[in-house]
Amino acid sequence: MRRALTARFCASFNSWRGGSMSECPPPQVVLFVLYSEFVDLSPWPAKMPTARLRVVVNGEMIEYYDISGCYILRPWAMSIWEVMQTFFDAEIKKMKIKNCYFPLFVSSGVLQKEKDHIEGFAPEVAWVTKSGESELEMPIAIRPTSETVMYPYFSKWIRGHRDLPLRLNQWCNVVRWEFSNPTPFIRSREFLWQEGHTAFATKEEADTEVLDILELYRRIYEEFLAVPVIKGKKSEHEKFAGGLYTTTVEAFVPNTGRGVQGATSHCLGQNFAKMFEINFENEKGEKAMVWQNSWAYTTRTIGVMIMVHGDDKGLVLPPKIASVQVIVIPVPYKDANTQGIFDACDATVKSLNEAGIRAETDFRDNYSPGWKYSHWELKGVPLRIEIGPKDLANNQVRAVRRDNSAKIDIPMADLVCQVKDMLDNIQQSLFDVAKQKRDACIQVVHTWEEFAEALSQKKMILAPWCDEEEVEKDVKTRTKGDMGAAKSLCSPFDQPALPEGTLCFASGKPAKKWTYWGRSY
Amino acid sequence: MGALRLPSLTSLSSAAAAAVPRHRFCRQLRLPVRRLSVQSSTAEKEIATPRSSAKPKLQEEKDRVITPRSQDFSAWYLDIIANAELADYGPVRGTMVIRPYGYAIWEAIQDYLNVKFKETGHSNMYFPQFIPYSFIEKEASHVEGFSPELALVTIGGGKELEEKLVVRPTSETIVNHMFTQWIHSYRDLPLMINQWANVTRWEMRTKPFVRTLEFLWQEGHTAHATPEEAEKEALQMIDMYTKFAFEQAAIPVIAGRKSKVETFAGASKTYTIEAMMGDRKALQAGTSHNLGQNFSRAFGTQFTDENGQRQHVWQTSWAISTRFVGGIIMTHGDDTGLMLPPNLAPVQVIVVPIWKKADERAEVLDAASSVKETLQAAGVKVKIDDSEQRTPGWKFNFWEMKGVPLRIEIGPRDVSSRSVVVSRRDIPGKQGKVFGISMESSTLVAYIKSKLDEVQSSLLEGAKSFRDSNIVDVSSYDELKEAIAQGKWARGPWSASDKEELKVKEETGATIRCFPFDQPQGPKKCLMTGNPADEVAIFAKSY
Repeated sequence: MRRALTARFCASFNSWRGGSMSECPPPQVVLFVLYSEFVDLSPWPAKMPTARLRVVVNGEMIEYYDISGCYILRPWAMSIWEVMQTFFDAEIKKMKIKNCYFPLFVSSGVLQKEKDHIEGFAPEVAWVTKSGESELEMPIAIRPTSETVMYPYFSKWIRGHRDLPLRLNQWCNVVRWEFSNPTPFIRSREFLWQEGHTAFATKEEADTEVLDILELYRRIYEEFLAVPVIKGKKSEHEKFAGGLYTTTVEAFVPNTGRGVQGATSHCLGQNFAKMFEINFENEKGEKAMVWQNSWAYTTRTIGVMIMVHGDDKGLVLPPKIASVQVIVIPVPYKDANTQGIFDACDATVKSLNEAGIRAETDFRDNYSPGWKYSHWELKGVPLRIEIGPKDLANNQVRAVRRDNSAKIDIPMADLVCQVKDMLDNIQQSLFDVAKQKRDACIQVVHTWEEFAEALSQKKMILAPWCDEEEVEKDVKTRTKGDMGAAKSLCSPFDQPALPEGTLCFASGKPAKKWTYWGRSY
Repeated sequence: MGALRLPSLTSLSSAAAAAVPRHRFCRQLRLPVRRLSVQSSTAEKEIATPRSSAKPKLQEEKDRVITPRSQDFSAWYLDIIANAELADYGPVRGTMVIRPYGYAIWEAIQDYLNVKFKETGHSNMYFPQFIPYSFIEKEASHVEGFSPELALVTIGGGKELEEKLVVRPTSETIVNHMFTQWIHSYRDLPLMINQWANVTRWEMRTKPFVRTLEFLWQEGHTAHATPEEAEKEALQMIDMYTKFAFEQAAIPVIAGRKSKVETFAGASKTYTIEAMMGDRKALQAGTSHNLGQNFSRAFGTQFTDENGQRQHVWQTSWAISTRFVGGIIMTHGDDTGLMLPPNLAPVQVIVVPIWKKADERAEVLDAASSVKETLQAAGVKVKIDDSEQRTPGWKFNFWEMKGVPLRIEIGPRDVSSRSVVVSRRDIPGKQGKVFGISMESSTLVAYIKSKLDEVQSSLLEGAKSFRDSNIVDVSSYDELKEAIAQGKWARGPWSASDKEELKVKEETGATIRCFPFDQPQGPKKCLMTGNPADEVAIFAKSY
């Protein structure tokens, strides 16, 4: 069951407002048992610490905080966010999209405006009611998303066709005061995201941008986070309420058998333009309404990456987003040339850094090499280099991969070249392995029986569908249970052949398309 | 509220009025008609044509929107913000929408500082925006300083919250709460972090960039094992800010220490950089605090030292905000509009192609875009304005108003002579204009880069001489009062009490901006009491 913290806003206001607790069981994300010797579990809210939550704490990604659902992003996580931000920001700037910043505070009147159109989301809004000791005349809301804040300005700034396209993006925090099981990165009350909001003169331009942005989201997942995703279109039921259509990149977590909406790019059509009176004079001098898009990805991306790659030892970070790609650990022995080993470690890091590889040493003298191995494995560093007396004597280092524990000895002369290769290789192999596991979870079905069976096996199900909203609602009702209901994830752009006469798995009516189904976050 | 000149948008709180009022600035961007005598040889004739009839001129006169700086500094400031599209008013009173052009300046500030922070060993992270009220109360002077301006969330998810939450005004309290859990031994120190975030202070009198309910900033927080290290860090960061202000923003700030009265709520010492704005008021442009052990004692942030003893950590915090953008506007802007230092300008060079006849169009545009590409490849931030709806003269005015440091004009004659005309924003008219700069790429790039450097240093020099001619050395309270009455900064020896400092504020409106690091030699007598004084202080009215 996907709920509130969908990667894209309100993705569907209805679903994230209306879902009841019973529909939304705690995600059973028990991936591994953890090293607990250096963590104090006591201050955690009792219901929180499933193993996965512990790994994000122990891996120093996140820290719990006194306010439920609010988390501290520690440098280890923040640097991942920054890598993605750097990539995405440069790409959208190439597309002539500009950054800006709209206020955090929304007056209740403005919020009301959206409520008129879409069912309100007041239940999840946090309200400022006081300043200092005084009560505010009108409570002021903290943005759950920024359409209502931004679009009045679109209306103000756009006059003629020369003002178009207007393409804005902002990097900011948003707040959604949910009560269902907060989960770090996946569902938190405050999270970081980018939200892009654009307006065009024609639908064609808007359509093109929707896909251009979706491609960037695919690249974030596949090229940076090494997480395979499926590009597709959301069903009418799952699309962004008020929009024309929603495209998505859908990821899948094999261990839990749940789909994750990775990020969404919406074509809003002209509905918001109508509501907010965003008009322009076209080239013929006629009044016309703009076509709008909006798109976003959040810190949820990091959560998906953790769930897809993490193992019993902890995090496994893809090299491209790891803030430390190589950790160099001295392995001194009694009577050995300790100083020589330390010098070799320094020299190793220096040559790697010079080659643009993010490498660090761990010279702490109060921990054993073995402890350090576990520590950096838990933190997910892609490659470990060990230097001991034997390596020093042979003028080599020992490299150990985090992802498959493979060990090789690298002559110092080949260091940079081989480390680079290994990092590339790890990046690729993380993706390949993840894809293989994901693909193994995909099950093609044709009938309800097959569907139900596949769902019980936690599959990502590809089924022919009649594309009727009532049928989807029916599927949800029929699959309701402890694990949460199944729903459509997306109709992939890449459609397998649909032979004439294929019937819908759920309704038996003629099928119109292939659609992915499953349980979801 | 006085600062918010535009129709108050609080009217938006009624559902019916949810649209943003369309005030006169936004659409009818009509710039003052400028005497055309300063145009380039190529441009001169072409420009004159479209604006001949009397009516549009009258219209333009009426819609002249930038109030002259000398006439009304505050109105001028708001006009620039609106016309240069730096910001707009937010839907809630005292908030601000930072538009792309304004945000790009902030991004340039971020790009510079973020690298410097990392070079000096700080890591970025992100703390939650909500702070339990009980945290704020832990450090007594901190809560006293901030409580009137706290925005409090009491309702979330449709329910009254058990404990009211503060929308962060600054993060010392939550940072310390976490540092207490992360720091165990001396090996965990120093702990040096930074975050880029929004903060909220419920101010009654607001002004875009300078003081808004919500603003963007970076806040650095560090913890150290010794007071010496903390002091060194606090000084290192104020030095970094000083260098940034001089070298990037061309703002000759005066760095120094705050008086006890002006010290940050909860700090032992506050260091500041103070900038003189065009109206000679002071703007506190960045601060770095040595927090001593005030917060670590309040939050029990301790570590075990090398001898196994438990000790409280020594801390610092330091910040620069979007207020700095306001400082740039008010330092360099003039009657024509904004003037941006090249190192922070989102557009460093604007290329304006000029043609009259249709058959000239293609060659001029070709030349203009090849010039653009040449410069872009060399890392210059360059933009071409080839829109056909506006005359070159209008474009010149527009981009001058937007503060772009250099303009390149290319007309048919320039195309045939393979050269361009380059004009400087900071030197108006013919003096700032050079003809016949070769389009040949290495010549052009070298020329443009050296001109950008020249503009950068000339802005700094200009601001410096303005600053220096407006600081008066005083040796008595009367002299101080006179200097302040003239709108200047007064610098004089000071060793008097907090009470007397407050008296100066009440009587003159001026406060101690800082005890500058740069102190004159020789014995000094307090301007107020005649007692010996160790230091001179700078007094000024401020934002």
